[in-house]
Amino acid sequence: MSALPAPSPGLPERTAPGLLRADVWRADALAAPRAQTLSSGDTALDAQLPGGGWPVGALTELLQAPGMHNEWRLLLPALARSGSGPVVLVAPPYLPFAPALQAQGLQAQRLLWLGAADSQGAAALWLSEQALRCAAVDAVLAWLPQVRPEQLRRLQWAAAEHYKLLFVLRPSAAQAQASPAVLRLLLDLDDGAALSLHILKRRGPPLDGPLHLAARPAALLRVLASAKPAPAAESAPSLQAAPTQTTSAHIAILQPRRATP
Amino acid sequence: MKPYWLAVCPQDAQRAGRDAGVSGYAPLLALPLTSALCGTTSPDAGTELSGAAAWADPLAALAWWSLQFTPWVAQVQQALVLEISASERLFGGRMALLQALLQPGHAPLPMQYAHGDSALLALARLACDALQQVSDLAQPPLPPDALPLHTLAAAQAHLPTLERLGCTTWGQLRALPRGGVARRFGAPLLTALDQAYGAAPEVYAWLRLPEVFEAPLELAAQVESAAAMLFGARRLLAQLQLWLRARQHGVLELELRWQLDARRANTLHRDAWHQGDGYGRLQLRTAEPTQDPRHLERLLAEHLAQVTLPAPVLYLRLRTLETCALRGQSLSLLPDELRSGDSLHHMLERIAARLGPESVRAVTLQDEHRPECMQNWQTLGAQASAVVSTGIGRPSSFAVQTGMVSGRATSQASAITIAAQALYPTWLLPQVRSLACGTDGLPQWDGPLALLAGPQRLELQAWDTGPQVQRDYYIAHSPGQGLLWVYRERLGLAQEQGAAWYLHGLFA
Repeated sequence: MSALPAPSPGLPERTAPGLLRADVWRADALAAPRAQTLSSGDTALDAQLPGGGWPVGALTELLQAPGMHNEWRLLLPALARSGSGPVVLVAPPYLPFAPALQAQGLQAQRLLWLGAADSQGAAALWLSEQALRCAAVDAVLAWLPQVRPEQLRRLQWAAAEHYKLLFVLRPSAAQAQASPAVLRLLLDLDDGAALSLHILKRRGPPLDGPLHLAARPAALLRVLASAKPAPAAESAPSLQAAPTQTTSAHIAILQPRRATP
Repeated sequence: MKPYWLAVCPQDAQRAGRDAGVSGYAPLLALPLTSALCGTTSPDAGTELSGAAAWADPLAALAWWSLQFTPWVAQVQQALVLEISASERLFGGRMALLQALLQPGHAPLPMQYAHGDSALLALARLACDALQQVSDLAQPPLPPDALPLHTLAAAQAHLPTLERLGCTTWGQLRALPRGGVARRFGAPLLTALDQAYGAAPEVYAWLRLPEVFEAPLELAAQVESAAAMLFGARRLLAQLQLWLRARQHGVLELELRWQLDARRANTLHRDAWHQGDGYGRLQLRTAEPTQDPRHLERLLAEHLAQVTLPAPVLYLRLRTLETCALRGQSLSLLPDELRSGDSLHHMLERIAARLGPESVRAVTLQDEHRPECMQNWQTLGAQASAVVSTGIGRPSSFAVQTGMVSGRATSQASAITIAAQALYPTWLLPQVRSLACGTDGLPQWDGPLALLAGPQRLELQAWDTGPQVQRDYYIAHSPGQGLLWVYRERLGLAQEQGAAWYLHGLFA
């Protein structure tokens, strides 16, 4: 006991709010509004987002060129820390590869895939709204290529009412449309290694230039960098000619159940 | 202990209104009391109907409600008699029990009541109140001797004779010599009179809560569309909720049956709901036992929206196929933990009911080497039926099964496999896509691909006659699509017809 420093009178007021979680309300203090943002896991991006992260209980819009997919890179760190409830994917374009997502921190059990045959129309909107109204859900990712502003406003209302992370992914052609989103980002891939991010709309001053982030997880970038010395144009024909050279390749995971004869 | 009987009957809205009209001169005291007792607030805010119209069988609803106060409940004519002297202490006295029984907002429907030392006495007073059309609670009840004879059911057949004799009240009948009455009117009248005065024991067929809920309903008018059956079904569901509450059970499976109008020729129509026997059936299943009529109603609405009726319907019947006892639920002390919104399994069942079970999928990881087999996206329907077929007790919710709550350890991934999994793409194509090759032998996908890393060799040959897999995976860059995960089929090392390239995933 003597090793502990004597508590000074001013100490609890100064340190306790920092020690406690933001969403725990101390009964002797004024209640503060709930934490409105969730850190994106990227300090450069957090510095540019109002409140220092993705807004919770509001609509965030991510615009990408057709065929481009950078959503997991951008959202995974935040989703991994968003809680323990389901992360609902509404009408995703492909199957999420759960082992890879789990390796990057998002538990596979949390993934919930919702979709319908005519997901592009009203069904996807209905599904998104149902997911937002569910108490257990932590985050909703909706791929809505043909959504109208008034429909987005309805989703924004639902997200605000039920305090959910909501990301709507749309094609980049939609950037000229009006949107009720509090945050709009346009994602673009520079050369495969860097992700340039234009903040089209935020609660704050406009950003002059794009924000450059690492496009891939660090482990993947290391592999790509180590593979760089072998030029791609050279390696491919040699592999085609002699596939037995795989022993000298940079990654070779050979785990057959039984050796082939 | 001296018995204390109550006679109760549902009070319909018209009568309540008439009461208020008739008692225009009535004491100001009586009016608020009556309206307080006959409050028209229905127990469930979700239903618009109030009073007796909200229930498929108002008297049964009242009986099931009363059974929680005393086991001695019986139906006599169109009223219920309750003997409550034995449970008075448990509920804190006679007045407290009466208040709990009649409490508006909790009782299923507004009711009027009368009391007495015997069931027949209470019934007679109830009939008198109904006749007078003013249930003036402030006045003391009529003494037994002053009750009119027509309120005694056994005397109904002899009323004209008795009236000519000058007998119009119970007291006058009782004053007649017993032997003469027995010879003239038979012993049953004397027995009834003895029972009414408490001189002979009263025996009734006591009501019990049925083991299985099954309630019929005749609709007010023929219904042509399946969606319109919902209005009738809502009354059955309200009744079901009362039964479930009384049994402290939750429903797992329900069947709604409707009878097609037999005069129509197309009652022999056959489809998923109609077997051609003149009846239609719809079975409803929930993963989690529930008492909530709103959830059941929304599920029913989604299912009924898909039904087409071949003929009009006049009769409905609701039956429980499976119920189980409800578990208690712990709530958090902190208010922040209580999130707004509906529960997960309610949402999933609603979606599955509207868009089909294949529209809801959750993933389970599997120990496999082929990427397409590492994960299994199971539908809600498959999950539920698998649980049922293996018979693991009560089928719990989808969320628990997929480990969303329990966090079941699906793979004890070592650090090495996690490092390898980090190199996997985050999107997987549901079907691998064959890639065309350019003149240089390199695959093309939105421009020529540049192979950045690889190969990652995958060889698999099962012991039995499984698929033989020999693939070399590469990470490739496409000018228009970013990083891709492609593989080359390596089956047969000779590669006679050139390498076959496939696109399998995308790095996002």
